[in-house]
Formats: sequence, structure tokens, C-alpha cells
Amino acid sequence: MIELQGLTKRYAGKTVVDDITLTFETGEFAVLIGPSGCGKSTTLKMINRLIPASGGRITLGGEDVAALPVEQLRRRIGYAIQSTGLFPHWSVARNVATVPQLLKWPRSRIDDRVDELLAMFHLDPTTFRDKLPHQLSGGQAQRVGVARALAADPEVLLMDEPFGAVDPITREVLQTEMRRVHQQTGKTIVFVTHDMDEALSLATRIALLNDGKLVQYERPVEMMVEPADDFVREFIGQADLGLKLLSRRWVHQYQRPPSVAPRDALPEPGSHWWMIDDAGRPTALAGARLDDEDAVTRVKAEWTATPEMSMKEALSRMVWYRVMVLPVVDESGQLIAEVGMQGVMGIERGPGANASSTRAAGNGALSDNDGGDPA
Amino acid sequence: MSGARTLHRLRAASAGSGVLIALCGLLIALTLGMAQLEPLFRALFPSVSNPLYTRDSYLNLMLAHIGLVVVSSLISVGIGIAAGLFVTRPAGREFEPMVSSLAAVGQTFPPAAVLAIAVPLAGFGFAPTIIALSLYGLLPVIQNTITGLDTVPETTREAARGNGMSAWQILWRIELPLAMRVIVAGVRVSVIINIGTATIGSTVGAKSLGTPLIAGLVSNNLAYVIQGALLVGLLAIVADLAFERLERRFTFGG
Repeated sequence: MIELQGLTKRYAGKTVVDDITLTFETGEFAVLIGPSGCGKSTTLKMINRLIPASGGRITLGGEDVAALPVEQLRRRIGYAIQSTGLFPHWSVARNVATVPQLLKWPRSRIDDRVDELLAMFHLDPTTFRDKLPHQLSGGQAQRVGVARALAADPEVLLMDEPFGAVDPITREVLQTEMRRVHQQTGKTIVFVTHDMDEALSLATRIALLNDGKLVQYERPVEMMVEPADDFVREFIGQADLGLKLLSRRWVHQYQRPPSVAPRDALPEPGSHWWMIDDAGRPTALAGARLDDEDAVTRVKAEWTATPEMSMKEALSRMVWYRVMVLPVVDESGQLIAEVGMQGVMGIERGPGANASSTRAAGNGALSDNDGGDPA
Repeated sequence: MSGARTLHRLRAASAGSGVLIALCGLLIALTLGMAQLEPLFRALFPSVSNPLYTRDSYLNLMLAHIGLVVVSSLISVGIGIAAGLFVTRPAGREFEPMVSSLAAVGQTFPPAAVLAIAVPLAGFGFAPTIIALSLYGLLPVIQNTITGLDTVPETTREAARGNGMSAWQILWRIELPLAMRVIVAGVRVSVIINIGTATIGSTVGAKSLGTPLIAGLVSNNLAYVIQGALLVGLLAIVADLAFERLERRFTFGG
């Protein structure tokens, strides 16, 4: 748990962080967001004392950070930054091992930890251990940067716009991985970004800053529904509020049991069937097309959904591939549920479509789910 | 590292070292076997009665020359890197303009003038030559040390601090290794300059490859001049190639 109490930073008479008081609970994925110059990065860097505070205090697990030896403090706090900050003359393994080496862990423990972290980020240790940073793609380098920050199993992870310099596709993949890593490790994460969509997709709580002041500290959906003032409303953006809300809703919350076909039977008009193969994988969808209600459509990997996918993405796939319903598959590709337009709209029709009962099942599926690495 | 990659590296390295090894061999052969070329020089300079410098062996002159360059370069490198480090630390930042201009001034003095000043202070021979060469070789080392350290990206430094390295650890583990390629480039320039400049040490009595050169100029004996200049030039090329290889060792891509 990190507490900021009246935290203030002044540069040459200008107050850039103005009396911020807030608490990051243990296990929280807190996102600091705001327009540029709002003091979000400065606030983050005061936590590990890269920037000294002018006033107020910060406690980490009850200890005043100003009272701890600064290097010791920083080794307890993971730190990941934009464009990775990887040391270009060190191998991936040595980069990841930075803090454990400073803490003088024994060699074998460091090696094990490096391999464990690389595997966690889907980087095959035998391939990546000895590579130099310039041999990595942007996404791989960023993963190594986060792995380095996690290496010594810190209590807290600070991330300063870590995905700001990667392309949008890689950024989405990294965000999915970050959510998974947060779930797996239960770390307290403080994450700085200026991208509201990134904040909404990652945060368990968002701290919105403006002009050095804390405007609102709230869970994402609550912030959307009850913005503290017009600035918050404007910053979130009203045009695609519905889509933003969907980006905080997960397929497992709205999925329902699939209607599976008796072999070769065609569905009643207005309904649909899934055809599955012997392994339980969906092969085709009969009905439920936007353009041709009776068509049989071959199932493609591009328009399947997974339980931890956001409803925004699910909706996007329905629109793009012109189907009213998506198959929800598990890691082995087996059909476990379906999610449709009705789910998106929150309209529940017919028996067996009870959202709250599938939500519980979905949560179980999520906890041991693997975000996947298309890169 | 995989075996294939190691092999590839070895092959690339040996291709580059071929020229270096060949020139090195030529340098040693000429140094030891200049006497064998006497008929050649006699044929080239029929008017000269004594076309081979024999007052000292070329091996002795070469070793003395290398000695002058090594000692003066060690001094330049020691003082230069220390000064460059000092002015890039927070405590020494304000001295940077002063140190840079002092070093620049040191290089605008002709080495002959420095020798002239150093002789009354340090006497004839080895010592004044070392002073002149050390001063003369200082600038590229200081400049490149400062440049090299300044090119370490701020994000890299911030990452090092954020990961809990002390200022000392950041200097040794991050800044110096990353600046090393540029620093070595400065040392390379300094050493090459000093290999050439060391010849004028002979005017104040320091033994070097300049000794036959000066003697040749004084007695209008072009053969002596060519013999000295040939060895000095070859030494400079060999040193340059060797430093080029050393620089490459500190290149980390991207």
C-alpha cells in the first residue's frame, strides 16, 4: 500500500504537483492520467525518489520513503519506462537480472528467475537470454523492460508510459499481457499514461490529474458514469462513451451456453446453430448472419472470442465479420459458449442466458487463462 | 551463444585481421631487416656515400619511439579521462568550458614550441618530449570522453537510477562501457598524432625514429629521411588498424 499525503512539487516557484493525497491499495492497478504537464509523471517519480518532493510525504507499507536509503528503496520498487531504458551493452538475461544482481542473489537463483520471467512474457529463454537489446522488436524489448522491473519480486511496480513508443497493435497485445501479469502476480501497479483507452483497459482505479491537482480517483466505470466535473467528462470523451463502457466489460460476463446443432440440421428461421467437430471445436455457424439469415458460415479464428476479451473487441468482430454471434472458445479451441448482439446490448432472451450465472463460471476460466502472444 | 554465430564472428574477425597481421609483419621485417635493403638505397641514391643509417639499430630506434608514444599516451589517457569524468559529474559540470578550452589551447601550440618551453624546465631528451606529447594528445581524449559520456541516453541513466544503482555503479557498469567506443576513438587520434609528433623529440635529444629523419634533413641525406619516415608511417597505420578493431569491440548495435 502506498499513501501520498499532501504531496507537492515546486520547480522555481511553479507548482507542478499540488497537494495530492491518495492511497494506492495493495493489489491495485492504479493509472495516473491527465493532459501533458499535469504532473502525473512527476508524481510517479516522487514515489521512488527520482524526483525529490517539495512537500508532503509518501509512505510505502507504512514506511516513509524519505527515511529509507534511496538505492535500497528503489530496489524494492520495480520501475519500467518508455522506450524500455534497457542497457544496450547487456544481454537480455543480464538486463533482467539487474536488481537481483545488485541485491547479490546467488547465481543459480538469478538464472532461474530470469528464465521464469522470460517464460512469463512468452519469450523463450533459450532464444532470448543471450540476445542484445538491439536485436529485439519493440514489443519484445518492452516485455524485457517490464520483466526487469519485476525481477526482484518488488512490492510495487511503477510504470511511466511504458507502451508509449510501440505501435498500436503491439500496445494492445502488451496491455493484455499486463492485465494477465497483474492478475498472476497481484502486484500493486502505478501506471502513467495520457491515453484514456489504455487507462480504461488496464486500471482497477484511475487517478485523473489536471494542473497538478487530483481531480478524481475512481474505478473506471464509475468515473465514466459519474464524472466529478466537466473536465473529467471532457477528458473521458463523450462521443464513444458506449464503446468505452464496453471496453470495461468482458465476454465472460455476457456469454451464454451455445446452441449446438444436431448434425446437418438447419436452424429455425431467426435462430442459429453451431456445428462442431469431434474435438468440440466450432466449424460453422448456421444462421445469424447480418446479411443472409439462412447462410451457413465457416468459423474462422479471426472471429472467435475468448472469455477475457473485452466486449468492445467482440462487438468490433461481429460488425467486421457481419455475424450476430461469436463462438467463445477456450485455449484448446473448444466451443464453450457464445456471445451475441443481445449480450452487447445487455438484453437477455430465452432460458439459459442468465448473465450472472455465466459470469461466475467465466471468472474461473479467466484466472488461469493465458493472454496469448500473437507476436 | 550458438556455435554457428561464434564461427561467423571468428571468420569476420579473421578477415579484418588479415591486413593488420600482414602490415604488422612488414613493420617487423623492415625494422629488423633495413640493413638488407642497403643495395636498394645505394641504387636509388647513387650520389650518397652512406645511404643506410647505422649510428643506431632501427630496432632500438623503433623501441625508443614506441616507448615515447606509450608513456605519453598513458599520461594523456589518464589525465584526459579523469578530466572528462570530472567535468561530466554534477560536482564538476561548471568546469567543463574551462577544461575544454584549456585542452584546445594545449593543442594550438605547435609541439616544437612546447618542446622549446619544456627544455629549460626539464632538460634535454626524454622528459621534455614526454611533456610535449602528453599535452598535445590530451585534447582528443578529453573531448571524446565528454562526448562519449554525453551520448549515453538519459532514459538509460534514468533506468539505472530507477533500478537502484548507485552513482558509482552507474558510472562503471553503464556510462563508461557505453562511452568506451567514443573514448577509444579519442585515444586512437591521440596515439596517431603522437606517433608522428614523437619524431621531433629527436631535436631535443630524445631517441626515436625521428633521429635518422633529422639526421637526414641536416646532412641532406634523403635515404635516412625515407627510412625513418617509412617506419613511422607504417607504425601509425598499424596502430590505427589495431584501434579500429578495439573500437568495434565496444559497438553494441542500434
